[in-house]
Amino acid sequence: MAGSSSAVAGSTAPGRNPNRPKYSKFSQQELPACQPILTPKLVITAFTIIGIIFIPIGIASLSASQDVVEISNRYETECIPEGYRSTKDDKIQFIQNPQSNKNCTRTLTVPKHMKQPIYVYYQLDNFYQNHRRYVKSKSDKQLRSPGSESDTSDCKPENNANGMPIVPCGLIAWSLFNDTYSFTRNNYVSLTVNKTGISWKSDREHKFGKGVYPKNFQSGGLIGGGSLVSSIPLSEQEDLMVWMRTAAMPTFRKLYGKIEFDLQANDVIEVSLKNNYNVYSFNGKKRIVLSTANWIGGKNDFLGVAYITVGGICFFLALCFTALYLKKPSRLQDPSYLTWNTNPGPL
Amino acid sequence: MRGWEKVGSSRSNLGRAGSTVTTNRITSTVRLGRVEPQAPGHRNIFCNDREANFLVRFKGNSISTTKYNVLTFLPKGLFEQFRRVANLYFLTISILSTTPISPVSPITNVVPLSLVLLVSLIKEAFEDWKRFQNDMAINNASIDVLQGQKWVEIPWKKLQVGDIVKVKQDGFFPADLLFLASTNADGVCYIETANLDGETNLKIRKALEKTWDYLTPDKASEFKGEIQCEQPNNSLYTFTGNLIIQKQTIPLTPNQVLLRNFVLSVMLEKRMPRALEYCNGEKGCSLRNTEYIVGAVIFTGHETKVMMNSMNVPSKRSTLERKLDKLILTLFGALFLMCLIGAIGSAIFINRKYFYLGLTADVEDQFNPNNRFMVFILTFLTLITLYSTIIPISLYVSIEMIKFIQSTQFINKDLHMYHAETNTPASARTSNLNEELGQVEYIFSDKTGTLTRNLMEFFKCSIGGEVYGTGLTEIERGAAQRSGGNVGKAQKSPGLIHEKGFNFDDARLMCGAWRNEPNPDTCKEFFRCLAICHTVLPEGEESPEKITYQAASPDEAALVTAAKIFGFFFYRRTPTMVHVRESHVEKMGKVEDMSYEILNVLEFNSTRKRQSVVCRYPNGRIVLYCKGADTVIYERLADVGNELKNITREHLEQFGSAGLRTLCLAYRDLSSSLYESWNEKFIQAKSSLRDREKKVDEVAELIEKELTLIGCTAIEDKLQEGVPSCIETLSRAGIKIWVLTGDKMETAINIAYACSLINNDMKQFIISSETNEIRDAEDRGDQVEVARIIKDSVKKDLKKYLEEAQHYLRTVSGPKLALIIDGKCLMYALDPSLRAMLLNLSLNCTSVVCCRVSPLQKAQVASLVKKGARKITLSIGDGANDVSMIQAAHVGVGISGLEGMQAVMASDFAIAQFRFLSDLLLVHGRWSYHRICKVITYFFYKNLTFTLTQFWFNFQTGFSGQRFYDDWFQSLYNVIFTALPVVILGLFDKDVSAKLSKMYPELYKEGIRNAFFKKRVVGIWAFFSFYQSLVFYYFVSTSSSTSQNSGKMFGLWDVSTMAFTCAVVTVNLRLLLMCNSITKWHYVSVGGSILAWFLFIFVYSGFLIPRDQNNEFFVIYVLMSTIYFYLTLLLVPIAALFGDFVFQGVQRWFFPYDYQIVQEIHRHEPEHSSRMELLEIGPPLTPDEARSYAIAQLPREKSRHTGFAFDSPGYESFFASQAGVYVPQKAWDVARRASMMRSRPKLPPKS
Repeated sequence: MAGSSSAVAGSTAPGRNPNRPKYSKFSQQELPACQPILTPKLVITAFTIIGIIFIPIGIASLSASQDVVEISNRYETECIPEGYRSTKDDKIQFIQNPQSNKNCTRTLTVPKHMKQPIYVYYQLDNFYQNHRRYVKSKSDKQLRSPGSESDTSDCKPENNANGMPIVPCGLIAWSLFNDTYSFTRNNYVSLTVNKTGISWKSDREHKFGKGVYPKNFQSGGLIGGGSLVSSIPLSEQEDLMVWMRTAAMPTFRKLYGKIEFDLQANDVIEVSLKNNYNVYSFNGKKRIVLSTANWIGGKNDFLGVAYITVGGICFFLALCFTALYLKKPSRLQDPSYLTWNTNPGPL
Repeated sequence: MRGWEKVGSSRSNLGRAGSTVTTNRITSTVRLGRVEPQAPGHRNIFCNDREANFLVRFKGNSISTTKYNVLTFLPKGLFEQFRRVANLYFLTISILSTTPISPVSPITNVVPLSLVLLVSLIKEAFEDWKRFQNDMAINNASIDVLQGQKWVEIPWKKLQVGDIVKVKQDGFFPADLLFLASTNADGVCYIETANLDGETNLKIRKALEKTWDYLTPDKASEFKGEIQCEQPNNSLYTFTGNLIIQKQTIPLTPNQVLLRNFVLSVMLEKRMPRALEYCNGEKGCSLRNTEYIVGAVIFTGHETKVMMNSMNVPSKRSTLERKLDKLILTLFGALFLMCLIGAIGSAIFINRKYFYLGLTADVEDQFNPNNRFMVFILTFLTLITLYSTIIPISLYVSIEMIKFIQSTQFINKDLHMYHAETNTPASARTSNLNEELGQVEYIFSDKTGTLTRNLMEFFKCSIGGEVYGTGLTEIERGAAQRSGGNVGKAQKSPGLIHEKGFNFDDARLMCGAWRNEPNPDTCKEFFRCLAICHTVLPEGEESPEKITYQAASPDEAALVTAAKIFGFFFYRRTPTMVHVRESHVEKMGKVEDMSYEILNVLEFNSTRKRQSVVCRYPNGRIVLYCKGADTVIYERLADVGNELKNITREHLEQFGSAGLRTLCLAYRDLSSSLYESWNEKFIQAKSSLRDREKKVDEVAELIEKELTLIGCTAIEDKLQEGVPSCIETLSRAGIKIWVLTGDKMETAINIAYACSLINNDMKQFIISSETNEIRDAEDRGDQVEVARIIKDSVKKDLKKYLEEAQHYLRTVSGPKLALIIDGKCLMYALDPSLRAMLLNLSLNCTSVVCCRVSPLQKAQVASLVKKGARKITLSIGDGANDVSMIQAAHVGVGISGLEGMQAVMASDFAIAQFRFLSDLLLVHGRWSYHRICKVITYFFYKNLTFTLTQFWFNFQTGFSGQRFYDDWFQSLYNVIFTALPVVILGLFDKDVSAKLSKMYPELYKEGIRNAFFKKRVVGIWAFFSFYQSLVFYYFVSTSSSTSQNSGKMFGLWDVSTMAFTCAVVTVNLRLLLMCNSITKWHYVSVGGSILAWFLFIFVYSGFLIPRDQNNEFFVIYVLMSTIYFYLTLLLVPIAALFGDFVFQGVQRWFFPYDYQIVQEIHRHEPEHSSRMELLEIGPPLTPDEARSYAIAQLPREKSRHTGFAFDSPGYESFFASQAGVYVPQKAWDVARRASMMRSRPKLPPKS
């Protein structure tokens, strides 16, 4: 009976011992392997190599970062008339009043020569663009194609205005930042701000549709922020794109524009701004930032410092270990350190 | 038509049958006279009449052991899967994540869950398919059925109740049959039930006389009986029914029932895929010594008794897995805490001042600042779905896969554990317990068949002060190896005779050469003593080649066999005479038949420890031959010739320390007057009515004195190959070995010596019931009194020994301790009041020997240690009497390759030889433990790290429960990007080679201490997870908060993709860092995983997917276009692994584990050559070859212990049964009885 299964067994291993397992490196667990042992030498070498690689990178990054010139000015309080500054409610009242004069001037001094392009950023604090309710409150479909206008299910409560779908819908677009800046150099030359090319290309070309025009935007009861020119398609509304690439942290900068003009040291830049955006409700801060950029980007010492620190610690440890190694050779390779040799007796 | 009413009634009863049968089945089965079938549950079967039976619709004979069929597979399989808590948890989470509460899309949890389920289901389906194939093979096996007037072969499944079948020799019974006729006379047949009860003797079944004739097809076709019998039930040993034949009702007994084959069913039930192969390999599972039988089918298919006997052995879980449960619980705790923190934070954070969040009056509950409690609750749920990755979903399925491959590919296929002689590879019958093998601290071993081969061999002797026999015992060989002795090649004498019971090689004695020895007369006396002084019965033909000896103990048979080979062939026993064919004293090559009149036999018992025979030579010389333990013989020697005594004593000690069982032989010439006067007293004593035994013993003392010493014999209780060295290795590994045996104390101690479990340097604590006090009490016969006395004495002993043991423990270099306890005392010591003391004492002992224990006691001892001491235990045994012990311990190991299958069936692992235990534990167990620990800790680490990163992020999102990673990242993290390398690690990681594992058994102690899965280890991993998650989050988020060289800024999804990339790279590299050995598969899997991530993200972010949110679109390309990406990718993994690296380096340098030191010691040795060497040695030296070690090299340690042979549990009952007295079988006799039967020739067909 059941000749089939036994025949299989028989045919696979003919001879006396049909049950003898076949030899294979895998089943005998003899696959060729290297044994990476963290010997002191290896540890020291690894640390040294890391040090050698990291410290130069760190120095390069740090110096690059140091070369970046950055001017930053906080203005949210100063741009409120004195009379409204005392309480939060006053500030809110001021900012929400469409009649109040929101113009404001800030003066910046260029500390060092700044090579063009000079990037203009606005920086907000305590603004949770990464809040769950906020992040998802948009409709990529709607932004992309004119046909999906009514695809606003994620956009509540900013999905419909007067029964019509809002384009672009959602809280993100609704709360669009709308302070504006214009710059004058040394009181007489006005600096043009180039506001094209401030968004990522992929956003421009794919995520925001060419045929999609703002509709019913900011027409609801409550105005969240800036409005959009309804005759310009979304694919050209770069401020919106920048704003809608939500920031990771509650403190973030967003690119406002570029000044394609070299600034000299001690130049005085006058910023005329319209202080439209309400950060007073949530005690936010606003800054305007002018910064150059080089191969590493904007000013960011962190990478350089981190590289130097890690590299430095590695070097330091390599030295320590070397000293230890020379002073007190390893316990390894010495059978007398085996636990059963050091403390005899039952287990 | 006949039987209509009955059919009707039985059908109407069918419904009720189920409930009543169970209660009926224990009722007595045999009644005399006409018996009405017990209503209500009975079935009527019309033999040989399919039409009549058709109406009742009995079940068919096809069986199905599959769990599922095509329709039920999905629902049932899924149900099984969701019985696992982890899966159920993820199902809940998945459901939760379809609600708007969830921050993540259902994908996050559904994808990993479905993948895990898919893998599990495929495995289930595969296994079920195998079972299905097995079922098909069995169902389609063919059987001869009577159709018309001839036998027709049909498949088993077509068989129906009432059919008449023919089963041929060595065939299987296809169903439960009513035995009708047999080719044997008397209508008997023999069946083997070794697999059922472990007994290898054949069972006899006898058909009813009425049916004997229905043997040939034409006759059988006339058989028109009607069987009324009980409904199918699971009682194997009972059967109630009647056969109505020719209007006569004859009661049926179990004796007429042949049960469907057991092995097959059990194997199928236990889901052993190779059941059929196995059975074909066996020497036939059922019908033996019978050409064929004819039977009528009574129960078919699932209604057969064995199939109804489906016992569900609860599957064991490993200790590590139970510890893992605790870890998972801890993770749940952590999850709870994280969610709590987040939920509280969220409730505090939420505020209308954040106008951009659009918290209008009708905002949903989760963000409604007016109801912060609701916010708290809902955010809590949100966070549970978000942080669910902290529970490693694929952990269980990964571990299962790893263990499955470990057991099927590594353990089952290990050539080191393949036993060529029995053609048996090791077999892991469960894959649950691999890592448990790496933590065993106590081994409970059976003796017979496990440590020993239950084979007594005449090995050496000392005659007249001269040692004969050149062999070496295992123990000597072990000692020689330890002291570095060299292994020479065997020099066998030409014409070496080796037969069962005889393994002696010395040319000086063989082939009559003893005549040329200095003392041929002593030799002659020696051989005669062997040939005459015994109680052996010869069986079979009276020729030296064909005769077999039936003896109470194998020792005796060995001695008589030895005498036969030396030329004193005992061939016949009559009540008064012993006939010996002696080789002629003077003339070489001639034989003469001598008859010795046996005057008296002074029997062996355990107090006398000797046996004497008074015989009269044909020439009238009266001699008393005596053999016995050296202590009792020496007391009774005549006071002359001290030199011989001293030399022989030395030899005895030499034999004893070699682990041999010794007997002293002596004789005494009696004058006829002396004999006559003694004989009178003897007869008187024999015929006394009171205290007969005592009196006989006293009279025997009178004549058993002034003996002349002839010499001594040394019998090897043949150990299994390599047992002492294996035991030594295991005890060096910190494993304590307890021998639990049904044997007598002396035998057990003897074996313990032979296995080097006990040696003379040890302090022995003996708790025995063989004390005078207890014996006196037993003689008085008051059971209550006896119990009290034994209990008191056990208590006293325990107390005393415990104090002593503690005293020794306090001293620095106290002796090692050994406890020897017998079954009767054990019974009382296991009493709850004394249990603690027993445990305490025995845990302090290096070895423990329990003798005369019942199977139940074996199990009790195992669970005492398992539960009382919470140590991990392993039981190993080969027989049915070990089953309970095997099931009681954490790990059960059965010795396979022998006839009995019961132990193997109950076991978790089956190996062919005890010595393979060292491979199983020290190599496979240790590796498995290491690997599984690593796998678990790694899983713990990678999921914790991943989840903590999310956790940190949430602090900066206003505790909103925003996910940091994309849904797909999160769902594929566990199942794709980090899944394979850890499996590779679990399969291939190898800290030290197999050879080193056995060379340094002490490495095993790390497993016993659970050094790799302690709280501290997990804590360290948790700490570094914490650290790494901080690095991932803060390094990436801080360094990305700046503008890029194009002046543009990163958004949330750029940052998170960066962080995820770092995490995947780091976590995969971390795996390489923890590997002890790196094969190409490591590189492939680690590289592949990282590559898989990049491939995935390239594709995933390359297209706009028709989804509402395309957050990831183009992100990776944007990232990779910046220098920042590369700088971070270099920095973060190194900074993250920096801590681990330093820790590992420092740990290795300053606090190395033992295995790390061993790695270093041997790091320059090429590993493979060593392993290949081992393979080349291949089958170890045969016993004969191995006897070649030079004796001279042996350190001759003196032993106070001289083992003495000649005792055996069956001894008394053997004589009693010879005398026709019934002695109740003791539980511990079962194994021995079975083994005695084994030596008996197959039952010949009675004529």
